[in-house]
Amino acid sequence: MSERLFKKTGMRFLMALIPVFSVLFTGCGKKEEADGVINLRFVTYQAVDVPLDIKEVMEKANAISQEKIGVTVDLEFQPGDKINLMMASGEYYDMVYTSSWINNYDKNASAGLYYDITDLVKEKTPELYEYVDPYWDCAAVNGRIYGVPLLKDMGAEEMFRLNADYFEGEKGMVIPERMTIRDIEPFLEVYKKDFPDKFPLEMTKSGPGGYLNFLERIVNPIVVVPFGDGQEAEEVVPFYECEELVEKFRLFHKWYKAGYIHPDAATIESTASDKSIPVRFGVAWKGYQGYSNPEEWGFNVKISTFEGPFLSRSSGQGAMFGVSAACDEKHAEACLKYMELLSTDKKFRDILAYGIEGKHFEYLENGTVLRTPAGRDRYYLMLYQTGPSAAASVESVSRSFLADPDQWKGVFEEYETEGIHSALNGFSYDQTGKEDIIAALQAIYSDYGAELRTGTSDPDVVLPEIKRRMEAAGMDELLQDIRSQLSEWNRSKETGEKGISNDGN
Amino acid sequence: MTETEKMRDERGSNAAAEDIKAGGEQTEPGSLNRPSGYTGKRNRIFMLMSLPAIVWYLCFCYLPMFGILFAFKHFTPKPGEFLLKNLFINSPWAGLDNFSFLLRSSDMSGIIWNTLFYNFFFIILGIAIPVFIAIFLTEIHSVKFKGFIQMVMVLPYFLSWVIVGYLVYAFLATNEGQVNHLMRIFVMEGIQWYQSPGYWRVILIITELWKSTGYAMIIYLCAVTAIDRSLYEGAVLDGATFLQRVRYITLPHLRPTICTVFILRIGTILNSDFGLFYQVPLDSGSLQSVTQTLDVYVYKALMQQANFSFSAATSFLQSIVGFVLLMVTNRIIKAIDSESSLF
Repeated sequence: MSERLFKKTGMRFLMALIPVFSVLFTGCGKKEEADGVINLRFVTYQAVDVPLDIKEVMEKANAISQEKIGVTVDLEFQPGDKINLMMASGEYYDMVYTSSWINNYDKNASAGLYYDITDLVKEKTPELYEYVDPYWDCAAVNGRIYGVPLLKDMGAEEMFRLNADYFEGEKGMVIPERMTIRDIEPFLEVYKKDFPDKFPLEMTKSGPGGYLNFLERIVNPIVVVPFGDGQEAEEVVPFYECEELVEKFRLFHKWYKAGYIHPDAATIESTASDKSIPVRFGVAWKGYQGYSNPEEWGFNVKISTFEGPFLSRSSGQGAMFGVSAACDEKHAEACLKYMELLSTDKKFRDILAYGIEGKHFEYLENGTVLRTPAGRDRYYLMLYQTGPSAAASVESVSRSFLADPDQWKGVFEEYETEGIHSALNGFSYDQTGKEDIIAALQAIYSDYGAELRTGTSDPDVVLPEIKRRMEAAGMDELLQDIRSQLSEWNRSKETGEKGISNDGN
Repeated sequence: MTETEKMRDERGSNAAAEDIKAGGEQTEPGSLNRPSGYTGKRNRIFMLMSLPAIVWYLCFCYLPMFGILFAFKHFTPKPGEFLLKNLFINSPWAGLDNFSFLLRSSDMSGIIWNTLFYNFFFIILGIAIPVFIAIFLTEIHSVKFKGFIQMVMVLPYFLSWVIVGYLVYAFLATNEGQVNHLMRIFVMEGIQWYQSPGYWRVILIITELWKSTGYAMIIYLCAVTAIDRSLYEGAVLDGATFLQRVRYITLPHLRPTICTVFILRIGTILNSDFGLFYQVPLDSGSLQSVTQTLDVYVYKALMQQANFSFSAATSFLQSIVGFVLLMVTNRIIKAIDSESSLF
């Protein structure tokens, strides 16, 4: 072993450390742009997998957007915890997915992580402003806008998805278009009688899909407000004191005891592989076909709505894009321009939503879209991951089962006429100083949550215990803080202009 | 000076002497003139061999040390600015505020108790059983059978906790589980395992031992194999029984190894294997009274919040307690038997 080798290795070691240090001290650099074209780093939520053909699709989309608005994007998919890390470490990005459930919008907006686009969006991209109106309220934090809500199903409709071949065909029952949640019991009972060893109601540890949607959640899912007209600050209650919710827990527990729900539901991650389950929960919108493809399920599915549509702040914040506060005005404007193009140019929107025409999807005669097998395998995304769902063409599940191409018009009309709106839209709770209480409450909640929502535990036994523990952890202090902030907000709403103000107050 | 240190010292001076000799013969121009006996040639090779480990520790243990600051700051990042600036300049000092969330929970005493309870059993059984098996394995003469046993025992160590969690589920599921299936054959009511906290202290201890014993055993197996066989031969000639041989030859030779492992384990007494306590009980709420350890609590409390200051504060606390306990244990062991202590 010679001296030289030792010295050489030492040098290599130092050289290996250089990139480590340089990242620590300088952060990540920004890409330089050539000839006036602005390149954006666009980070979106990775729901399942990154689509295989993303490069090819983005090349095509970038060619079009460069020609139309002089903007190209690097579209990047990141899971929720990675996005959190990215936000916390101050990494550079231009546009990021943010919502009430992934990468918390209210929290980040009040922490000043997003660009205040209130004036910019009206001046530079009036078409985008027009398009999203009247849904800007759910993006308002202290009267200012920090993100673009993506128009999709802004309200939540709760539905049952039933095996129509079995219930209507074999049993001669009638599945109504609308029912109450309790009306499902006879269906469950019939199935249980036929198959005593099976469990008719789909249930996983995350509980019935969207069972909390009928509440405005101030601190999800611990402090809630039932939808009502008054919206007095006193109506803010811990979830264990919300009578409607407790009733639901009792119902689930009754079903659990009757054997409609799998005994291990509170530990089951997914029931996707068990196609035999005849009753499933769903959250969707009028005309949505994704639940009813007989080819996928092996039987005809009929949908029956039992609640909603509920329009709350959290449902309105289902998918949004925030612009980084570190952007200069040029880049912020480019982000909005890109969002505007996605919202108003259907052909362009369809590329990001469905891929390349002819390869990943094709247009049917009535203007809806049908994915090809290649599209299903190599470019399958949820619409909200890449832009407003409502701006894309509507998808049909098969040639013989065509969707209504104007579906979204009906959906938004229904929201206006039948929608149950939360009066709290526009209020965001500022958690500063109470994070330790919330963290402690979240930990307590997670001890019971799965068993309450799956019906495994008896709410009349467990809720008093939760109450005792949560009060010991500072629930009252938190409630007081929320109520005083809410009264403050109510007062400013009465005196000032409702919703979004034009100045920085 | 301990025996090993003496040995090391002898070896060092021998090597140094060699080096001087070698240096005297070396007439290559341009070679560095070091003070004689600085580091031996042999030591240089050893250092080179340990270089990857040193680099690893520098990069992943010493370089991120500044992260301790997270525990004492209200971390408020500004987008687009680099991490150190965000941490040092943009974030205000928080004093001990970040530690307060640990005190918020009324079950903190139960959580600490669980952590200590399991670690106590893991340390005691995690040493006793592997030592026991290692001693017995050396008594087996069939190489094939020995190899087979060893392989079977080490294998579980390489399974991830997620997989172990589902293996356990295959046994304990209420409806489809093997255990309940057997119980029903014998006309007994099945048990809702994931809702019955009573059994889980035992289940978790068995699972942990099943997974870790084989791997832990390797260390002791090496130590036992390294014992001079002539000692045993002598003992056999003198009429010592098997138990006597173990008591007077094997165990005394294993003592330094056992003490080292013990001290190191004490240092992490407030830490717990997150996979074991979160994945194996499938995060079942009913079981939380017996499965919630400090790491699980922190994960549950902070999963939704992404509050790095809180998690840093907890880790800091775990490290401090671990450090203090490690020093104390080492001191106690040193007082009892100075050769077995770590330093």
